[in-house]
Amino acid sequence: MMTIGIPRALIYFKKPSFWESFFKNLGFKILLSPFTNKEIVQMGVKISDPETCFSNKVFWGHLLWLNEKCDYIFVPRLKTNEQKLEYCPKFFALPDLAKILVETSILTETFNEKKERFETTLLKLGRKLKKNKKEIKEAAKIAFLEEKKLKEKEKENFFKKINPSDGGQKLKIVLVSHPYNLYDDYVNLRIKDKLEKLVAEPILIDEVPIAEIRNSKFETRNVKWPKFHWEFGQEIMEKIQAILNYDVTGAIEISSFGCGCDAVLKEFVEREFKNRKIPFLYLMIDEHTGEAGIQTRLEAFIDTL
Amino acid sequence: MKLTFARWGNYTIAFKALFEKLGLKVIPPEKTSSETIAEGAKIAPELYCFPLKVNLGNYLPAIKKGADTIFMVTSLGGSCRLRYYGAVQDKCLSEAGHKVNFIIFGQSPKDIYLKLKEVSGASFWQILKAAYFGLKELRFIEKLEKKGQYLRPREKKKGKTDTVLRETFFDLEKVKDLKELSEFKKRTFKKISEIEIDNKRDIPKVALIGEIYTVSDSAINFGVEEKLGREGIEVHREMDTTYHLKKIIFPWKDWTIQRAINPYLRSTVGGHGRDAIYEMLKYIQKDFDGVIHLLPFGCMPEVTVRPILEKIHLQSGIPFLSLSLDEQVAEAGIDTRLEAFVDVVSNHYKMKHKT
Repeated sequence: MMTIGIPRALIYFKKPSFWESFFKNLGFKILLSPFTNKEIVQMGVKISDPETCFSNKVFWGHLLWLNEKCDYIFVPRLKTNEQKLEYCPKFFALPDLAKILVETSILTETFNEKKERFETTLLKLGRKLKKNKKEIKEAAKIAFLEEKKLKEKEKENFFKKINPSDGGQKLKIVLVSHPYNLYDDYVNLRIKDKLEKLVAEPILIDEVPIAEIRNSKFETRNVKWPKFHWEFGQEIMEKIQAILNYDVTGAIEISSFGCGCDAVLKEFVEREFKNRKIPFLYLMIDEHTGEAGIQTRLEAFIDTL
Repeated sequence: MKLTFARWGNYTIAFKALFEKLGLKVIPPEKTSSETIAEGAKIAPELYCFPLKVNLGNYLPAIKKGADTIFMVTSLGGSCRLRYYGAVQDKCLSEAGHKVNFIIFGQSPKDIYLKLKEVSGASFWQILKAAYFGLKELRFIEKLEKKGQYLRPREKKKGKTDTVLRETFFDLEKVKDLKELSEFKKRTFKKISEIEIDNKRDIPKVALIGEIYTVSDSAINFGVEEKLGREGIEVHREMDTTYHLKKIIFPWKDWTIQRAINPYLRSTVGGHGRDAIYEMLKYIQKDFDGVIHLLPFGCMPEVTVRPILEKIHLQSGIPFLSLSLDEQVAEAGIDTRLEAFVDVVSNHYKMKHKT
């Protein structure tokens, strides 16, 4: 049986669980790289371009870990999502750069919904693995269902956090960042645990449900940020609008060093919170960030609230 | 209304002429220097790419002189951060307490025309005439730069070419209409032809590739072009305004580029990322002796393609130097690296011609 390796970094967190279940249902063995650890980061930092962003460096580390451990490594080329908004330009070249880096062959397909639907691209991808149309459709259906279930759970989780049953003694703190920083606990230096220890409730921006707001008056409202062509830009700004309807005590933005998109985004995220007098902390993470430094800054931030 | 705009190397002269032809009051942006860069970096976001900081630094003195409107380009089609320059600069300036009005235009000829009309209120014919004059001047400036690249390593009296070019660029600002321009051209070419050159020298050739703004503005790249020229190296570069304008008007250039670089990169990465690879491959085919890659620190497209350029460099053995520039880079550091690179290039050239 063929094994497909999936690096647990960067684009994996854009669709967690989807790729795993899709390939599993097609009848392949999956090899997920482990959670990020020190060796992986060091491997990645060593070989990558010094100026690329920290998240990218972590991704290369995962890729090197998978090298020669499986038959294929899956690195999709994500270009646009279903709202026809672009992903980060650094994602566009991932498969090509991966080919330079590892000996194992790379399994890739271009997901560009400006040109074709996601399902059509999935069919193409399946055909590369010599599966027929029916099998692929079946596998995709199950994978979509599982993804949906996960989203539902996230939503429930969010409402539990935002309206706690015990009356809400904890400080509610919004964590604004990309999913690959929020869910990777080594990369964000376990910021969620740290906040919980300081008696705060971290609310991930990723969990904020957005479907309801999109349909309502939101479009017509006069917003103060430029129209982003990045999917995360638009999404994060909209989610911030949504979260501001609830009562939050503070906000923290985590950004990986060298992230070009965050340099733009931060300006407008910061303004949204500052305009409403919500304390805002900007944390930059990279391979040299120490846990003690983050701890001190978090404690100081919590004290100001 | 007093207008200012983003500075771009020698091409600023042509842009200024274009606006003045339309009857607008123009306060040209300040010349880029280490002071303006430092001032700009103070109010700019820390991790934003370098040209934004340079632009801000150039605006500030112009605003002090009374400019109240800024004409800024955006790139609506690309994936690069140039798209948000207008919005972010607007925010930075207003937070620093300057009241300016931003006019942000896309890169399509139609949008440029519409915005020019909105600003100046000129007729179609006037705009056409002004644009023609501006483009003529732009072509002339580019031609002069090309001449300079050819002459610098060959001149008998060191520094003569640079003196002539500097004088020409200074005088060019006073040229007011097409008739004057053609006379001025004749005079300049005569002056240039009088520079004595030595045709028998062995001259290695080096190409400049990378991000268009850093490659073509010698105030930002610490005059890489001039320095290499004085060291006896002929510098080539394809990136200039006409190259960029041509690519907007004729999109099929992108298709040829994509076809050529297919073995290395199968997608756009925004900005001029693909062009860098294409140019490097082309210059290797033309048997050049070195490639210098210039980029602003953290430029997303160029950083993404750099591993590919390095791979091409390893495969072909052509000397390769990548310089990323920002407000903290010192001229001495660049000089040292350039000197070392010049040695590598001349060794490479000698080895090639011995066998």
